[in-house]
Amino acid sequence: MYLSSSLTLEEKLKILSDAAKYDVACTSSGSDRRGEKGSLGNSVAAGICHSFASDGRCISLLKILLSNECIYDCKYCLNRRSNDKVRTTFTPDEICSLTVEFYKRNYIEGLFLSSGVVKTPTYTMELMYRSLYLLRTKYHFRGYIHAKAVPGAAPEIIEQIGYLADRMSVNMELPTRESLHALAPGKSHENILKPIKQIQHGITDYRLSIGKSAQMERSSANRYLSNSIFKDKKEKQDTITGSSGSKALNGPQTPAGTGPSASPAHPAPSSDAGSPSFYFRQNTPSLPAAQNRSFVPAGQSTQMIIGATPENDYQLLQVTQSLYQQFDLKRVFFSAYVPLNEDSALPSLDTAPPLLREHRLYQADWLLRFYGFHAEDLLDPSRPNFNILLDPKCDWALRHLGLFPIEIQTASYEDLLKVPGLGNKSAYRIVQARRTTRLDFPALKKLGVVLKRAQYFITCSGKMLYRTPIEEDFITRQLTSTDQKTTWSLDHPQTYRQLSLFDDLHLSTPAPEDSLKTLSGQL
Amino acid sequence: MVIFTCQDTFESMMTCIYDAWSARLGHNNIKLQIEPIWSPELFCDYRHVDPDEEKVQKVIRSVRQKISENSYHDIYRAAMSDHPDKLDIIYRYMILGFVCGEKTPRMFGNPAVSALFELDRKVANEAHLFREFVRFSRLKNQVLLSIIEPKCNVLTLLAPNFEDRMPSEHWMIVDKTRMLSVVHPADSDYFLTPVTHEELSYMEASKDRFDPYVGLWKSFFQTIGIEQRKNPRCQRNMLPIWYRKHMPEFQ
Repeated sequence: MYLSSSLTLEEKLKILSDAAKYDVACTSSGSDRRGEKGSLGNSVAAGICHSFASDGRCISLLKILLSNECIYDCKYCLNRRSNDKVRTTFTPDEICSLTVEFYKRNYIEGLFLSSGVVKTPTYTMELMYRSLYLLRTKYHFRGYIHAKAVPGAAPEIIEQIGYLADRMSVNMELPTRESLHALAPGKSHENILKPIKQIQHGITDYRLSIGKSAQMERSSANRYLSNSIFKDKKEKQDTITGSSGSKALNGPQTPAGTGPSASPAHPAPSSDAGSPSFYFRQNTPSLPAAQNRSFVPAGQSTQMIIGATPENDYQLLQVTQSLYQQFDLKRVFFSAYVPLNEDSALPSLDTAPPLLREHRLYQADWLLRFYGFHAEDLLDPSRPNFNILLDPKCDWALRHLGLFPIEIQTASYEDLLKVPGLGNKSAYRIVQARRTTRLDFPALKKLGVVLKRAQYFITCSGKMLYRTPIEEDFITRQLTSTDQKTTWSLDHPQTYRQLSLFDDLHLSTPAPEDSLKTLSGQL
Repeated sequence: MVIFTCQDTFESMMTCIYDAWSARLGHNNIKLQIEPIWSPELFCDYRHVDPDEEKVQKVIRSVRQKISENSYHDIYRAAMSDHPDKLDIIYRYMILGFVCGEKTPRMFGNPAVSALFELDRKVANEAHLFREFVRFSRLKNQVLLSIIEPKCNVLTLLAPNFEDRMPSEHWMIVDKTRMLSVVHPADSDYFLTPVTHEELSYMEASKDRFDPYVGLWKSFFQTIGIEQRKNPRCQRNMLPIWYRKHMPEFQ
């Protein structure tokens, strides 16, 4: 390792953005703030992407590390202590001027600040705090800020950053305690959950203090769903008081032997519930009073690496669901493991990132958050992984053909959402339009409803589009023949492919080009 | 058949609708078109309409009162489209709207409504994408300048967003296809103004030349993509190539 202080700003930016690019979250959503004369910037609840990188992921925030020095030696990480790399650190003013000048040119929507762990977690967070404080006060920046909380840092400094940032995130890194222990020897599961809990309580306190509900807002469509994962939270909490969450988070299939060690990791929520200034020490001189500042208004998120450890999709999805329910996270991100280091505990360097698996997990994540599905509906221990040929909703529908076909004219909004190929917008338009007209298939097309998948599952005034049987084998064949090309290209991003008699000699009809539209990279 | 024609401005279009309506020739016997008309039809009587502020206000007032405020926004956006039949589509929508009232925008099944809805969606989507993809560069005199070539007339839809985003900066956005620009002096209101060819060529020459952050942004953009996940098709889906014309990271 060699430390360099003679680097130009451009070289530093290259090194520290290169080191940050494996962080997944680049969303600028969840925070709504008008601009103000004399300051720079606003924040839009829907989030704005400003560019799309060569991997198709959106660039919404200036994603950089404050420093790529690190005391940890996590096996999967580019910046691990034992890697021989140029190490450098931004000064607070460099971060501020880059953010502000990029923002003025409409390149970015705000700043995503993460960091390697310099000296100690608390010291690192203090460095981050200094930059963010300068950005908010001296540079009058009102745009979006996403800050990483480093597990193990003092609660006071995490709270202070919470008053400056719109969103905070703590990386789960790996879904289960065992995997974390194997790949990130310096980190512990308990240490990761602690700041997540602290931020959750901070958000709840802040929201209650301004007269909002304790829980974060969710997609408005969830109001019309009778059993979304966000609804039945309350009843569960009463019966569980935290212990079931830890069970899911420790991995549903771990043996019961981990029981005793799990209990100190999850103190009863009542013990840290307190006043908003629970952790705040009034006599800390460098920190300004936190009055009138919002606390992490866009909620918190987390990310997990998939494909580096042997967890199956069912475990991952259960962890995801319990994170939403127990910690009220706004988002859970998945990051397909990209091999960077050689280590016996890791997959070999030539493994392709499991992009299709990541894609399926995101599809399922959307089904949890917007469509009223539960992890248990989509997968179960007997079939713990997603079908590679079919998206999770199609797969679910094919296993529940008894519910179909659904009559467009009379079905409830909730039932419409269960139809493969119908999303929130289509379902909303159908519900609105059928008040005034009788919908038939041409009318559905005019509304912008895509019938490619939906046609096998719906009727208009009792008729289906074509005479298709409601038969699992038949529909599976129909759906996979058009989707195969899409899924294949996802799993094999830039390799050459083997000739196939049917695809390349045109013995069957080629798949339509627009199928990639569904693979949008909006993370 | 009588065809009412007017210029491609919002005021002219509203006046044209007023005149066409009050001509009382029967809705099926008239058509409305935007000038220029490249291939006139036989057996048609063409009537040119000039903008009239009073008539514009009357039309806008009736839309707001008889249909809804949101419908007025939909109509305004549809009028910014580059679709050749947009004026007739708006006219047909208004005919229906004045009968059905408030519920009109939700009658997606009706062809008049879905046609307008289609235009509205196209313009709104394009405006949103330009909101993301507009790129400013700092000139020597500290003005932030952006040049775009949109298909639809999105300037008036973009300006409010940027006014909220950068209220205390001098900035301007130039629409090269229409030779129009929106200018925002710091801490005051923005305005629309035409641009001459000399001005435009001067601005194009001085843009990006003295701005050190353009280079920084380019190198950030290149480093942030993950090589192992490279996916140009997804990139093209999210950021179509024609939008990239004035974006420094793709030059």
